[in-house]
Amino acid sequence: MSTKPSKKSCVLVTGAGAPIGEALVRSLLDDSRIGHIVAVTGYHQDTFPIAPSKRLTVQSVDIGRNRHLHQLLFDTAKTLGVDTVIHTAMHLSATDEGQRVHAYNVDSVRNLMAHCERHPTIRRLIVRSASAVYQVQRDLPVLIGEEHPLNMAGNAPQWVRDRIEADVSACVRMGMSPLQIVVLRMAEVLAPGTGSQLFDYLESPVCFQPAGFDPMINLMTIDDAVEALSSAIHSVEQGVFNIPGADTLPLSTAIKRWGRIGLPAIDSVLTPLYRIRRRLTGHDFRYGMNRRWFIYSGVLDGQRAHEVLGYVPAKPIDWPVRKRVTSDIGRGSL
Amino acid sequence: MAFSPAIADAFAALFLDASSQSRIADLHFQDAGHGFDAFGMHPSFVALGEVVLAPLYDKYFRVRSWGHENIPSQGPAVLAANHSGNIPIDGMMLWLDVLRHTQPPRVARPIADHFVPSLPYLGTFFARGGMVGGSRGNARTLLNSGEMLMIFPEGVPGIVKPWSKRYQLQKFREGHAELAIRHQAPIVPIGVVGGEEQLPALFSSRRIGKLFGLPIMPVPAVPIPLPVRYHLYYGEPIPVQEEFKPEHADDPQAVKEVAARVQEAVQRLVHQGLSERTGIFE
Repeated sequence: MSTKPSKKSCVLVTGAGAPIGEALVRSLLDDSRIGHIVAVTGYHQDTFPIAPSKRLTVQSVDIGRNRHLHQLLFDTAKTLGVDTVIHTAMHLSATDEGQRVHAYNVDSVRNLMAHCERHPTIRRLIVRSASAVYQVQRDLPVLIGEEHPLNMAGNAPQWVRDRIEADVSACVRMGMSPLQIVVLRMAEVLAPGTGSQLFDYLESPVCFQPAGFDPMINLMTIDDAVEALSSAIHSVEQGVFNIPGADTLPLSTAIKRWGRIGLPAIDSVLTPLYRIRRRLTGHDFRYGMNRRWFIYSGVLDGQRAHEVLGYVPAKPIDWPVRKRVTSDIGRGSL
Repeated sequence: MAFSPAIADAFAALFLDASSQSRIADLHFQDAGHGFDAFGMHPSFVALGEVVLAPLYDKYFRVRSWGHENIPSQGPAVLAANHSGNIPIDGMMLWLDVLRHTQPPRVARPIADHFVPSLPYLGTFFARGGMVGGSRGNARTLLNSGEMLMIFPEGVPGIVKPWSKRYQLQKFREGHAELAIRHQAPIVPIGVVGGEEQLPALFSSRRIGKLFGLPIMPVPAVPIPLPVRYHLYYGEPIPVQEEFKPEHADDPQAVKEVAARVQEAVQRLVHQGLSERTGIFE
């Protein structure tokens, strides 16, 4: 495990308007090894929830637009001498699709890499990815290593395809780029406003699961996500890392801990059932998209992150997480 | 609900005697945080497994076993046995026999064919008792964490072989040998006698099997398994870890040699069992 020399880092955090980005910015403000922080949010900067600080610059930028991204990096970031970019922004809603969403999820990563490679001060790019990029099926290991097959199913929804494309776009530049590129494939963060499909699933008083199956799942907290991102910021290593959470449990136990009623149902009726729920109540959970994770176990193996980054999940979920989202957080691009 | 540890605990409390309960309490397993290991095993379901299987083990199949001293009490190991009987009762009897004859108790983790985890209810109950799907990654993880695997190297062709080929081992696959060499785990050969006669099949059909998500479906000649007596023989461990280095796992000749030695040892134990038994029900 290697760490950076003592010079203070200046960092830029995208997705700072979302819970993980916001928590990361708060954590970095308390970190004496960090100099200046540029928090990039999709909302108006006046609504940013963290109090102004001499070490914090808040910028409202639509990172889906290349011109805006260019201006951010070659104006603000260059002036402040940003050396590390942490890209946590993702379009969260699984029901939104189209070119605009793709631009936000995928083009932003490509553009970010292209700009950072030419940038005079940026040396390190950390991309937040998700465990949803992995394939789970009966003949694959339960414990998912970084070499595990990705979900390349042609019929996967855009929510999944975009995450895979963004992840792979970053991975293919590793070793060829002058940048140190780190991709963190994080377990599902079970918290409001993070785009967690499971969180949305557990919002219903009755949770249906496929009869006869009770797969093992791995979940993490925002605190552990922030810890993993901080470990990546302070390391000089690059590569792909699985970031598991501290909670590994069967789906039925998660439902129970949440205080919900779990009911078995025939697998084939769950997709239409949850489609009706989505249309009637505006919820975001798509059963078809998560189906395999509801049948076959899939748990991230964090051995590499432990050995190289020194990351160990330490903050289990404080069950149940009931805080509801009161704004549009959790649905759009942040 | 069906997979609740509380229900499993209730059954164990009702039907397991105090000494068995206290043995299960000593069970070594890697809790991933909520009482389950990463593969879904839970001690309460191991106890429930004993509750369910004990009548079959004690009364119906009246299992006898020899050579328990050959089961490693700790560290990674591979148990390799012959497979037979059209339904995997041999695996269940072996699982319970190992649990009862190891101190502290060990759960032999059965490595099942790919279709088993996709069987509703059954796949999940087996996983709670320690079964894992047959992928290299699963086996590697378990051996790395010092677990003991139960492998039937003949695979499906072994369990559904016709009556005319009973006790003739089918060709052993080599994955178990490669795993044992790579992870420096001794291989314990096991001869299972009795299973072949439990459920003679008229024929086996791939087409019918496909309807149920199975690779092949035997059509039995009897409605329920016969009360044959099971005989389990644990042979001396093959000390792979002393004879080979992990890099030999990439040497096809070394892997073939170990697999052949295991097959030979299992066949010898089966012959011993056949010669020692006085009848299929005795």
